[in-house]
Amino acid sequence: MPDEDPRLGLLLALADDELVIGHRHSEWTGWAPYLEEDLAFSSIGQDEMGHARLLYEIAEPLAGKDPDALALGRQPGEYRHAILCERPNGDWGYTIARQYLYDTADDVRLAALESSSFPELAAAVKTIRLEERYHLEHARQWFTRFSQGPVEARQRFAQGLEAAVGEALALFETLPGEERLIADGVLPRSSEDLLGDWLGALGGVLEEASLDWVLASHEKAGGEMVPTSSGEIEQGPTLTVPGLERRDDRWVHVGEFAGDGGRRGKHTEDFGVLWEEMTALYRKIPGATW
Amino acid sequence: MSATVTLEERVRAALDGVHDPEIPACSITDLGMVERVDVTGEAIEVDLLPTFVGCPAKDIIGEDVHAALGDAAGGREVRVTFVYDPPWTTDRINERGRERLREVGIAPHWEQKSGPVAISLMSVSGVACPFCGSTETKMESAWGPTPCRTQHWCSSCRNAFEGFKEKADTPA
Repeated sequence: MPDEDPRLGLLLALADDELVIGHRHSEWTGWAPYLEEDLAFSSIGQDEMGHARLLYEIAEPLAGKDPDALALGRQPGEYRHAILCERPNGDWGYTIARQYLYDTADDVRLAALESSSFPELAAAVKTIRLEERYHLEHARQWFTRFSQGPVEARQRFAQGLEAAVGEALALFETLPGEERLIADGVLPRSSEDLLGDWLGALGGVLEEASLDWVLASHEKAGGEMVPTSSGEIEQGPTLTVPGLERRDDRWVHVGEFAGDGGRRGKHTEDFGVLWEEMTALYRKIPGATW
Repeated sequence: MSATVTLEERVRAALDGVHDPEIPACSITDLGMVERVDVTGEAIEVDLLPTFVGCPAKDIIGEDVHAALGDAAGGREVRVTFVYDPPWTTDRINERGRERLREVGIAPHWEQKSGPVAISLMSVSGVACPFCGSTETKMESAWGPTPCRTQHWCSSCRNAFEGFKEKADTPA
């Protein structure tokens, strides 16, 4: 990695995010709560894998590997996606929370990359964004629906946001060789700068839905007063989202990330399981076509 | 009719015989996928714009173009490239393509901007039914059998129909 062209690191970060989250989305095929959502996640997953393929095609001359080899022929430690993308789907609340956080974050970075000095990437991003509009709309529609209740739906969505938001920040972890990417205009704005934009917008939306407490340090399950049949509110351990602070009426990132390291190839056990399955055929029958 | 048909015209006619395997009613010309044709003494270069980036039919279309140009090529090398600049948008589908889509029950609904009420991309009502023409319709789902389709319901003829998902620079 030391001598790697930083453009390759950027392309792999973008492509691996799309591939791995696309794989997770595809796991809902046949299992989603109802048919329309089965189709939605199947389609979104297919779109994301298509975007990954296009980005791998652009990376091919830099990597010296074809798109299949990049997608399926690397060791787990060579993938550069954010850890958020590899987490199992969990319940529907987590699935939607993650899709919302991922696609709103993806939109912020893709909007910036439309003016990249790397022409193939800028063109790809323009066409990718025309499809991402549907993913964003899907996530926003569910956000509205869940945040308006009923109680259990709202609670489980909030739990999903709590679980995902810390790791979502690490989508904007600084890339290897980022200084050069910025100097060359390949990355028009720094990751930290983009994170600030995303977090500002996210904080606003969460406040409007009175869900901004998921960003704060709070007692788990005690962050929101919820009427229960027994009248009791369960107390859990205090949860803190590392790296988040509220300053001047705005949520900002400070210091550390939860779940960072993805851009340098650091992953969790969850990715090992996903990788085994995703690459099984490629490893077992080299050169297979179908 | 002129007796001399140029090679480029023959190439374009051959391309018009290549159909999208997921929408067999339409040729790649109908769908506005042919961005550039360049014929030289040595090669025939064709640039195609994929409709949706992850379209699984892309590879098949590429192979079909090679097969279709075999005769016209006359020994020239055929080079087919998928390009993304400009991005493919639904308004590239030509009038014949729109007619053919309606014939197979797929509404090209982006062209009715003044009529349908787009509450959001997920909820568009008033798309003309390709079977009976009624606008008493609503979108059931923005997701369909392929990533490029939507699903609708017509209250007049009580048929379900599909729509071609709008892809535009300036969304409705």
